[in-house]
Amino acid sequence: MSEELDFDPEELAMLRELFRGEAQDALETVTTRVLAAGSQKPSTEVLTELMRVTHTLKGAAGTVGLNAMVDLAHRLESALAGIERDTVPWMETTADQIVEITDGMRGYLDQHDTPAAEPLVEGIRDQIDQIVRPNRRRDSIPPAFVEPPPEPVLEPTPEAPAPEPKQYLRVEPNRIDDLMSSAGELLFDRTRIERRVQLLRTLARDLARTRQTLHDSLGSTAPASVPSRANLVATENELAAQAALLSQTTAALLDEIEALRRTIGELQRGLTRIRMESARSLMTHAARTLRALRRATGIHVELRTLGEDTEFDKAVAEQLVDPITQLLRNAVAHGVEPAEERLAKGKPVNATITIRARQDGNLLVLEISDDGRGIDTAVLRERLVATGSWTQARAQLANDAEILDALLGTGVSSRGNADELAGRGIGIGIVRQTVSKLGGEVKVSSTPGRGTTFSLRLPLSTALAQAMLFKVGGQVYAIPNVHVVDTTLVEPHVTTTTVKSEALPVLRLEQLLGHGPSHERKPGVVVSFAGKSLVCTVDKLVGPREIIIKPLGPLLAPLTLYAGATISGSGKVQLILDPAQLVRRAYPDAPAQALSDTGSVPMVLAGRALVVDDSRAIREAMTSMLGREGWIVDVAEDGARALQMTRQMRYDLVVTDLEMPELGGFDLIARLRNDERFKSTPIVIITSRANPEHRRRARDLGVRALVAKPITRRKLLEALATR
Amino acid sequence: MDACGLATRSQTVMRRGLSRRWRRGRLASVAELRNVIVFSIARSAGGGAARYALELRWVREVVSLGFITSVPTAPAAVSGVCNLHGTILPVLDISGLLGEECGPPARQGDGALVIELEGLVVALRIDQVDHVASLHETGGAVVDGAGRTLTLLDPAKLLRRATELVTAAGAGEPAPS
Repeated sequence: MSEELDFDPEELAMLRELFRGEAQDALETVTTRVLAAGSQKPSTEVLTELMRVTHTLKGAAGTVGLNAMVDLAHRLESALAGIERDTVPWMETTADQIVEITDGMRGYLDQHDTPAAEPLVEGIRDQIDQIVRPNRRRDSIPPAFVEPPPEPVLEPTPEAPAPEPKQYLRVEPNRIDDLMSSAGELLFDRTRIERRVQLLRTLARDLARTRQTLHDSLGSTAPASVPSRANLVATENELAAQAALLSQTTAALLDEIEALRRTIGELQRGLTRIRMESARSLMTHAARTLRALRRATGIHVELRTLGEDTEFDKAVAEQLVDPITQLLRNAVAHGVEPAEERLAKGKPVNATITIRARQDGNLLVLEISDDGRGIDTAVLRERLVATGSWTQARAQLANDAEILDALLGTGVSSRGNADELAGRGIGIGIVRQTVSKLGGEVKVSSTPGRGTTFSLRLPLSTALAQAMLFKVGGQVYAIPNVHVVDTTLVEPHVTTTTVKSEALPVLRLEQLLGHGPSHERKPGVVVSFAGKSLVCTVDKLVGPREIIIKPLGPLLAPLTLYAGATISGSGKVQLILDPAQLVRRAYPDAPAQALSDTGSVPMVLAGRALVVDDSRAIREAMTSMLGREGWIVDVAEDGARALQMTRQMRYDLVVTDLEMPELGGFDLIARLRNDERFKSTPIVIITSRANPEHRRRARDLGVRALVAKPITRRKLLEALATR
Repeated sequence: MDACGLATRSQTVMRRGLSRRWRRGRLASVAELRNVIVFSIARSAGGGAARYALELRWVREVVSLGFITSVPTAPAAVSGVCNLHGTILPVLDISGLLGEECGPPARQGDGALVIELEGLVVALRIDQVDHVASLHETGGAVVDGAGRTLTLLDPAKLLRRATELVTAAGAGEPAPS
């Protein structure tokens, strides 16, 4: 389907996603316009607009390689043209049919990469045929005063067998939309930056050439003469121009990086929002747990909840269910006194457990307090000594807070011990472990006779990922599981090893991570990234784990080997290796990026180009293609905007679509030709409708080339070569 | 804060002294009062300890370090990273940052000053906090109660050096695209 496309898969996916949004809008326009007309034939104006919209759709679909969509849009456009010219009859049902067709096309957009797409396209094609040739169907139905409802042509798409229930994240659609647009932005930011980098390369080469010129003239032994002085002046001028361009480009690059930073920020915020959930579900869960506990123990405890609206990460919420259950259980079993004891102390018979959620800066704070007997630190102190965990001296010197911390097992022996000490049943150690894994902390405070408060302090958001953990040189490292395809054994001293009949390079992690070479057979982790695989030798496999990825921070960011770090249950930092970097080390000669793999710096500084098209997908595709040829590209969404831009900037190339709202392509070109500065500027037309009349007009206006959509890199290069 | 009364009094004295000098028109070196933490680091070679002062305003916390994870490709002045309240913190070696031989590698339980500056938070490994005091600074040094001159560390310079070292180490790796 995409054999002739010029984008890397990532870029294509992004362009398609962008196209999808654009196409949805276009189809929506068709639907609303047709519905607004009701059963009446829409006005010529409306029909023209609809034809333009479907036409744009066609062109954009071709550029992103959705050929079935090209076909459908083409058919729909022809049908609309027929209606406009009255060669296709407008009937009462036509409006409904068009709406159905656009709905079908929207459905196709969602499923174009599934097996269901094929029959769907067939169905839509038939529907369009029925509009164009209504008689075929009308013959078959008896004339009636009430039109029958249109037959459902679309078969319900067969459900794929769902062997096991999957987990879904319910997210408000607008949160996704925001993300999509940020993600799209990201690609464009990248493209813009790549473009500038290309330009900088060219400049660097130009500068080197100028320097050579200077060097030559300085080195010439000929006596200083007037011509050589003129040469020097020329070189100086050249240098000045290059310096100006350099500072201009650097400034633009800085702007673009700032834009990138903003986009990344938006994306991060968007992602965080998507994963947010209010504390309410946790509180509901707590209430259920307490009811169950009451049934089991007969102890009646009231639950008071505060801050239900505090939002936090869904992943965090899921992980917190167990710790909270544990803490509630502890409070009921050990914290709360029997009724008579409470009465004797003048407390209400029913104990209260309060769960309070609040946000404190970047932290989520969850406090679980009971109004029970509290923790007797004197007793705890004795137990610490009695069990041999602490020395007498240490226990005496420690303050109450430190003694309470010991309850959580921080820094002392095993958690089993700590739990035993606390006499609080199992699980407090688990609470600490879970919270620590989430990158948080547990604090406990207690007033004897008044109650105990456990406060869990957690980061507001976390990125949970599956990772493969392993040991190298006594330290645990992780690689994201999505990039780990297999594990194997590697013989000593080999540089390649065969995995599933494929010879893969071996990367000795022990050496990469600063340990001496080893002479043993070692476990290997098969890592695959961007189509390249390698085997990393490790000392010992730990196994797959769910981890929270945390940044290493700005200071260590330049160490590209690490994608971040995670914190283990015991609070240790474990480094995450970046699979991209591992691949780069195993394939040192491989090109780093599609951008540099051509290895060809553009031969000439192409200059500044203006791309005019009403489809954003096409604009960005063109920008990307031209950018790779070394052009600096500006874009305009219609002729009017383009005209405005040409007033402020000179362009060395204009690439324009023909059919656009406001000001069409030919009108734009005609006006540009009237402008002294654009009299002979190369202009290339991109269109999907190149008839002889168009060609004639184009020739008259001095257009260099007409390129048929969909645009490919080859076609574009040919068009540029005609210069 | 604890030395507040003292500081205010001596600041007043200082200011009076300053204005006198201003009047006399010869302002050679200006001594300013700094609230500093004085600490020492064991020297790896030759024994003994180096003592330094650091302005208190940069110090967020004095902590006992948790488990230190070494970062293999980092420069020697980065002893490793550790988890402090759920945040990952680089642990830096002051001697290394000052261009001297690095001290012994940081270990769990070692003391550290957590400093925060321009968005960077790092832990500086130390061996001992001697005291906190208000001392007069002259030309990047302070004189403590016993009349000894101590270098007043400039955290901005230290972090700049750390950034340079890490960047250089990062550049030694295959360049990112």
